[in-house]
Amino acid sequence: MHIPDGFLTNRLALSLDVVSGATVLYAARRVKVDLSGRMVPLMGVLAAFVFIAQMLNFPVLGGTSGHLIGGSLLAILLGPMAGFLTMTTVVIAQALFLQDGGLVALGANIFNIAAITCFSGYAVFRLLGGASAKGKRLLVAGFLSGWASLMFSSAFCALQIALSGAIPLSVGLTTMLGYHAAVGIIEGLLTAGVLSFLLKVRPDLMKVNGSANFGLADWAGALIFVAMPAAILAYAGSSRLPDPLEKLLAGSPLLISGAAPEELSSAARMTDYLIRAAVFIVLVALGFLAGFIARRRSVKP
Amino acid sequence: MRHNFIDRYAALDSPLHLLEARTKILAFTGLIVAVLFIPVDSGILFFVYFFATAVLMGISQVPLGYIVGRTLFILPFIVLASLAAPWHGYMEVGALFIRAVLCLMLLILLTNTTRFVELLRGLKKFGFPQILVMNLSFLYRYLFVLTEEAMRMKQARDCRRVGRAPFRKELKILSSMLGTLLIRSFEHAERMHSAMLSRGYSGDFPLISRRRFSWNDLAFLCGVAVFITSTFGLR
Repeated sequence: MHIPDGFLTNRLALSLDVVSGATVLYAARRVKVDLSGRMVPLMGVLAAFVFIAQMLNFPVLGGTSGHLIGGSLLAILLGPMAGFLTMTTVVIAQALFLQDGGLVALGANIFNIAAITCFSGYAVFRLLGGASAKGKRLLVAGFLSGWASLMFSSAFCALQIALSGAIPLSVGLTTMLGYHAAVGIIEGLLTAGVLSFLLKVRPDLMKVNGSANFGLADWAGALIFVAMPAAILAYAGSSRLPDPLEKLLAGSPLLISGAAPEELSSAARMTDYLIRAAVFIVLVALGFLAGFIARRRSVKP
Repeated sequence: MRHNFIDRYAALDSPLHLLEARTKILAFTGLIVAVLFIPVDSGILFFVYFFATAVLMGISQVPLGYIVGRTLFILPFIVLASLAAPWHGYMEVGALFIRAVLCLMLLILLTNTTRFVELLRGLKKFGFPQILVMNLSFLYRYLFVLTEEAMRMKQARDCRRVGRAPFRKELKILSSMLGTLLIRSFEHAERMHSAMLSRGYSGDFPLISRRRFSWNDLAFLCGVAVFITSTFGLR
């Protein structure tokens, strides 16, 4: 599922770089880890664990094999923000060590593989399992969170590829979702299996995430996080698709010319992209500012 | 067990290896972005960038067989994805393929001419979040330890199992293997943390390198910048 360079349109890849970068900065601020505390080596070693767990293959039907992705497992164990940072580390390491996924496409890969799996997996687990699930409930919640995290992630991957014009959405979505519905069963079973094993053998380790610091503001943030990409995808989609925002901007001086973008020279196109990126950064910054203020408010009383 | 599968040739001392990490990060990112912006219909630019990549490969002294081998290792996915896009002309599919391969080669070159610790140092100096840099350096150090443990567990499983067990059993084996590995990781982290504290760790991680930003770095950066602007300007 790692997207190599060149598969997404540059606009989409660069805007996802910005989104992922902003999310990483936000999470790094949000976890507020004491840098001398025990969380730091724990996150690093768990990143190594996931990196290796992804290499332990498991035979699925036929000749194919699946493996643990681990996003929802990490989010359940460490909490959503720390889990996301750990997963981001894994994705960066895969790009640098194994050249799995490109450098400019790194933002898209972090978004799909780290952000979506961790946040959706955690949300599903908390919704179904509550703060301290045990027994059957833990198994069911763990399974569904693993399965759902892969489904969300592959849906976003298909959406991005479709918006880049490589593969039509209907084809991409059915193949990606179909394949990952099968692979997701393995992911879900392994997530549930590891969680119940851990609860049986070392129940004290299940408490590392400091349990219930996922407040209302975080739920709102998660909602924004899911709504934001939809808006971004609509904005950053390729010019082949009807793009409402592009039409909106066509009358303004922001768009350098009203002509079809294909006719611009590459230098003009680059400045066009830069201007769009700047507009986009400002929008994202405003969004985060809003989230920040909302959090301040919810903390005070 | 082989441990050098990551930055295998990063310890050579070609001119490219001797540059500072920040220089290489900037230059290679610039080249990759430039490759991504090559228009579909300009074959000459693809050729020019292939030539530039080849020159860099030559300078770097990383064995050509290794780069080609790594590229071929990743290639099947790219080929599959390019073939899955028959909705465009051959030109577009070809351009997509060439772009992907060029970017792949440049990325391989970057990671194999820079030691990972120096790469991290460069990222840190660029203002990468501290916690991510630390995560990456822990990952790099503990990858080998945990790989060895995973390999031993895999070997033990393969010794005790003939053929393939039923699905349920197989799943149970794998999840308890993963669980054991997870617990060992936790224990490593705990031991490591107390070891770090007892050696006076207080939240900062010095990444030492003898490389400094020099005139060579400036010259290289200028060269790459001139190359990129001229290729796009002359078009």
